[in-house]
Amino acid sequence: MKNAGAPGKILKRLKSWEGFLALVLGIIFLANVILSPQYLSLLNQINLFQLSIEKIIVALVMTFIIINAEIDLSVGSMMGLGACVFGWLVQGGMGGGWAILVVLLVGLAGGALNGFFITRIGLPSLVVTLATLIGFRGLARVLVEDRGITDFPDWFDALGQNGLIGPVPFALIAFAVLFVLLFIVLQKSGFGRKTYVIGTNRDVADYAGIDTARHKMKLFLASGLISAFAGLLYAARVGAVRGDVALGFELDIITIVLLGGVSIYGGAGSLIGTLLAILIVLNLRNGMALINITGHIQTGVIGLLLIGSVLLPKLNLSTLFRKNKGQPPEQKEESA
Amino acid sequence: MFREEKMRLFNTLGITAALMLGAAPMAFAGPVQIEGGKNVNMVLLPKFLGILVFDQANDGAQEAHKELKNPGELLFVGPTPENSVAGQIEIMTTAATQGQGAVMLSNNTGDQIVPSAKAAQAAGTRVITWDSPIPSGEGEDVFVAQVDFGSIGKVMADMAHSILGGKGQMAILSATPDASNQNAWIASLKEVLKSDPKYAGIELVDTVYGDDQAEVSYNRALGLVDKYPDLGLIMSPTTVGIQASAKAMQDEGLCDQVKVSGLGLPSEMVSYTMNGCAPEFALWDFRDLGYLTYYTAYGLASGQLTGEIGESFTAGRMGDYTIEEDPGRPGTKRILMGPFTVYTSENVEAAAK
Repeated sequence: MKNAGAPGKILKRLKSWEGFLALVLGIIFLANVILSPQYLSLLNQINLFQLSIEKIIVALVMTFIIINAEIDLSVGSMMGLGACVFGWLVQGGMGGGWAILVVLLVGLAGGALNGFFITRIGLPSLVVTLATLIGFRGLARVLVEDRGITDFPDWFDALGQNGLIGPVPFALIAFAVLFVLLFIVLQKSGFGRKTYVIGTNRDVADYAGIDTARHKMKLFLASGLISAFAGLLYAARVGAVRGDVALGFELDIITIVLLGGVSIYGGAGSLIGTLLAILIVLNLRNGMALINITGHIQTGVIGLLLIGSVLLPKLNLSTLFRKNKGQPPEQKEESA
Repeated sequence: MFREEKMRLFNTLGITAALMLGAAPMAFAGPVQIEGGKNVNMVLLPKFLGILVFDQANDGAQEAHKELKNPGELLFVGPTPENSVAGQIEIMTTAATQGQGAVMLSNNTGDQIVPSAKAAQAAGTRVITWDSPIPSGEGEDVFVAQVDFGSIGKVMADMAHSILGGKGQMAILSATPDASNQNAWIASLKEVLKSDPKYAGIELVDTVYGDDQAEVSYNRALGLVDKYPDLGLIMSPTTVGIQASAKAMQDEGLCDQVKVSGLGLPSEMVSYTMNGCAPEFALWDFRDLGYLTYYTAYGLASGQLTGEIGESFTAGRMGDYTIEEDPGRPGTKRILMGPFTVYTSENVEAAAK
């Protein structure tokens, strides 16, 4: 591997999971350009991101959580809770700025609750966040009951619906900034390296003197905070909230991260992979919508793509003959 | 043949009248005769796909599409049930990008569709709601109402009164908690029950939601029977809920104790009406609703209608309609279709065919 020259590197890149995703993305992009005259318009390109912006922001943090060999199923409910707390407070007469602050604190509190049960009590994150998935949603529904809350401050709606820099809205800029920041943290910092090490083998990390509980707590705090933030973005984008805001979003988010090549067993994956997966899903959805494929067919096509892309790489012969049922080999290589 | 000649006559009269009157205001010209042949691309957007009444509305819209010889495209696209809100917003946004002439929306998002509907309007797309309006009316040109929302409560109260013999317990099994049409009708039913002493003997014990999914509704109906041993009637203002409830009562052999009523489709309810599980129910014609909605949207998108209050037009075989203020949502506009048909064992078989 060390002897591989430049062409060899490129070949290896292409054979990697990211290379495969880039190829799929290229095909989707070309198909969209050919099939739809409106696809390349600036407005459509912005809308393409805006329609799913809350999910893809949360997917960035979810990448950290899953690399760390944990899961956070409560993100969709926390997005809903954040949006509903905001609506409830504003309706009760609180200023928009203060309400945003409270919502972000609620996000941190929710993350701390998850983190406490996972790191102090030692329960699996799957169980804890499944419970808070139901709990946070229940709280959101209690707050707003069976009604919609609308009439947010004008500046709040404008932030969600209008362009901030030219036609580019605030949320898209937030996504871009967050991506760059988190990329540096995950790929270049000690925090990022710890995230991989703990995800690969927590016991080894513990012996190496890493405070793994503290690290996981930080990740769940971040997940709660960003989810609540994403809930605010949703409220601003649609200008109204209900108890069912972001219902089921956690599955879309986790699916994107897994499609991006992040190992569900932890220790492997990258934000580049997540970004490519985001672009694939969003462009595929958008392209199909533009040629009027919606509903069940759209869901079916995206479902087939995901089944294929998650299962295909695991069907190579070496995996079949190797008896370990643990981490898939091609993803172990990526983390090395 | 006769019809075509009549249309031609109308057109000639219309042109003559217009020439004679010059730039006379619309109000003096009588109902606007919608002229066919204009190229308008339109989207019919139901709450979600896979519900018979929405397919019927599409049939009606397709009928009008052919009748008006629109060379443009009429699309029937919708989200899946579990992705209804995000899906409706996505389709509305895409319609604006595609430069569609009109979107005909049965809204399932509450006010969450408002920003994308407004953006569509700004891009030149007319937004016409049918079946279920945008609660605030923002981003909406006009709402084509199937019946007067206030009168639905009265119709349901009367059916309950007749089935229960004026006295007994009733529970409501609705669609989703956020459906603005069902919520308005339930509110109207509660109002009628409270305000008219005629219904004093009817006790409304609970309201539950079956999410417009057959299995959930079926289980909710059985849950109601378990919870309220004296329950005499399940009132379901949704075609999915009423059918699931009737099936649940029939399967459990409970039809003698607990009757089912509400809003249902004759073709889906005929067996339950004939065997006594659902002796009375009501509905309007969704095919007509789709037809009228198409005429309205086509008229607006082709510039033949302005959408002002007081404007009248002729919607093909259905006759004349007028745009008025919506009494249920002050400051917004509606076109009222009406009327209700109450189905019993007398007339349900004929309607089911």
